[in-house]
Amino acid sequence: MIAQQLLNGLFLGAVYALFAVGYTLIFGVLDILNLAHAAIFTAAAFAAFSLAAAGVPLPLAFLLAGCMGGIIGILLDRVAFAPLRARNAGTLVPLISSIGVAIIIGAILRGIYGVDERHFTTGGLDTAPAIHLGPLTFTTVELTIFFAAIAMMLALSWILRATTLGRRIRAVAEDRVAAALLGVDLERTIAATFFIASSLGGAAGVLTALEYNSVTLDMGGPIELKGLAVIILGGMGSVTGAVIGGFILGALETLAIAYGASAWRDAIVFGGLFVMLVVRPTGFFGKRTLRAA
Amino acid sequence: MNRITVPALALLAVAALVAPSGAASKGPAAGKNVHVGVIADVTGAAGVYGTPQKNAYELANEDVKSGKIDAGGANLVFDVQDAATDGAQVVNLMQKFTTDGQTPIVIGPTLSGEAFKAFPIAKNANFPVMGTSTTAEGVTAIGPTVYRDSLAESQVIPTTVKRTHDKWHYKTAAIIYGDDNAFTKTDGDIFARELKAAGVDVVDTETFHIKDTDFQPALTRIESKHPDVIAVGALFPEATKIIQQAGKLGIKAHLMGGNGLNSPEMYTVAGPAAQGCVVGAAWYSGAKYASNVDFVKRYTAKYGKGPDQFAAQSYAAAQIVAALVKGGATTKDEMAAALKNVRVIQTVLGPIGFDANRDVKSSPVILSIVKNGFTYFH
Repeated sequence: MIAQQLLNGLFLGAVYALFAVGYTLIFGVLDILNLAHAAIFTAAAFAAFSLAAAGVPLPLAFLLAGCMGGIIGILLDRVAFAPLRARNAGTLVPLISSIGVAIIIGAILRGIYGVDERHFTTGGLDTAPAIHLGPLTFTTVELTIFFAAIAMMLALSWILRATTLGRRIRAVAEDRVAAALLGVDLERTIAATFFIASSLGGAAGVLTALEYNSVTLDMGGPIELKGLAVIILGGMGSVTGAVIGGFILGALETLAIAYGASAWRDAIVFGGLFVMLVVRPTGFFGKRTLRAA
Repeated sequence: MNRITVPALALLAVAALVAPSGAASKGPAAGKNVHVGVIADVTGAAGVYGTPQKNAYELANEDVKSGKIDAGGANLVFDVQDAATDGAQVVNLMQKFTTDGQTPIVIGPTLSGEAFKAFPIAKNANFPVMGTSTTAEGVTAIGPTVYRDSLAESQVIPTTVKRTHDKWHYKTAAIIYGDDNAFTKTDGDIFARELKAAGVDVVDTETFHIKDTDFQPALTRIESKHPDVIAVGALFPEATKIIQQAGKLGIKAHLMGGNGLNSPEMYTVAGPAAQGCVVGAAWYSGAKYASNVDFVKRYTAKYGKGPDQFAAQSYAAAQIVAALVKGGATTKDEMAAALKNVRVIQTVLGPIGFDANRDVKSSPVILSIVKNGFTYFH
């Protein structure tokens, strides 16, 4: 049973991690908490649903919806963050501004889709064959989702380490003024950061929707809080920390249930988080590891 | 009487006999305006339940106008206000309706948890209220003016356990239920009580929270105990995922649940794993009595999808209030008195009345999920 539970935790953790890396990337670069990240997660899931319903194959719908998440991210920055940045509004005002955008996105989605849960009717998600490997049972859909999440996180790591854009993002995260003095186009770099972070958030939304074959208006609610826990656990602004934090949270949740404490699941997870913060207030990787990512 | 008058009267008599129920009668309240307050979570987390409720009252408003629902000639209107799944808004709306001087009865709110906040206000104002989906234990005990037309889980689950046990002769069971919602928590408690009373060994109990999506850890643990049956205390969104994921993990135990699983879309959403899952319910969309067939047909035509139990129970509440208005009840005191004297009212749920605890008197239906919806469980 424990092997199966660890596998359950691995699948769960991969999506938590993917959601959290986008969350933490924006924090790492701009020092702001983007509470509209979960709304983009939901919007991309609905976009993928609409595309699939229009006959677009699921892998393509996934990519397009992820890009759409990225575009919403850029718009979010222009509407909610850029004007405040220009006025040096600090970190608390953008937080409220992002909540406002999240509510607006939710209202638009409700206007378009109504309140009913939506389901993918194409792609054979319900009939995906189960694979039995020793004591483990999983489906091809779960496996695909897991590897898609891992591939996207590796791609992000590569972009940050080995590309010019990555170096610019890290430079802006390190010191915005110095980066600008050295010729980095701040606004373009920030826009690119929002695109990447929101694409990943959107992709996490689509993968979650595919995994449970369910798209709902409130699907972003639970993961928003968990995503926050993950990035605090990993160290605010640390991409590596967010990945590790995501898997730890997934494992903690499944193991709490495996050992017969389902009623205490959230209390155990968030209790653990509290202890972690007392012992190590900066999380696993402190705040500034993005610079060295 | 001349030769023309006699056949004309005979024709009139026949016409009266075959007239559709749409021909509204003239009762003591004829011509009076009756404004019924409805509190429903049209938006917010419970919007998926409140929306079919709102749809049912819209249909009822049309049917009162056309005479299909007979309110004795009164101008009966159901005024649906959205509580947005916000407890504070539910309380505000209940306060508004109970003090505006023109509302004789309130129907709703949508959730049991909301009812526990709002119904005490009605009780203090000696104001009649009727729940249509607030099925948790203790709701009608709030006060002597609190009624409900929905079968409580405590009325549905014992029959579900008895009927499945009679057929499957199971010895062990596991329970999985939501512990942060009055409805699903009630499910879990009653399943535990009834299974124990039936001599069944409950080998595992797992809990979850509303909005959870991943039930595989809990189901993996349940499967390690090899129960014969899994009792599910969940609402539709979680229930479909539990069933779907149980299928994915290859779990072969029988599945059963309460009213939360009563949706015509259960199979469509949960997939083949839902086949054979037993659902104890207050209402069956496929029931063949005429008023139900007509309701299902017209609701489906209007909204493009079939009604669920929430819609049916709301429409039934509209029929009950219309019957009271037809009898002359147009003020809160008349409504409260009329509710006490209800014997049997014909509704889409079948003929229903109220017991001494103001709970609905009707029988649960035990259904089994099949590809196109449900069939009776035999």
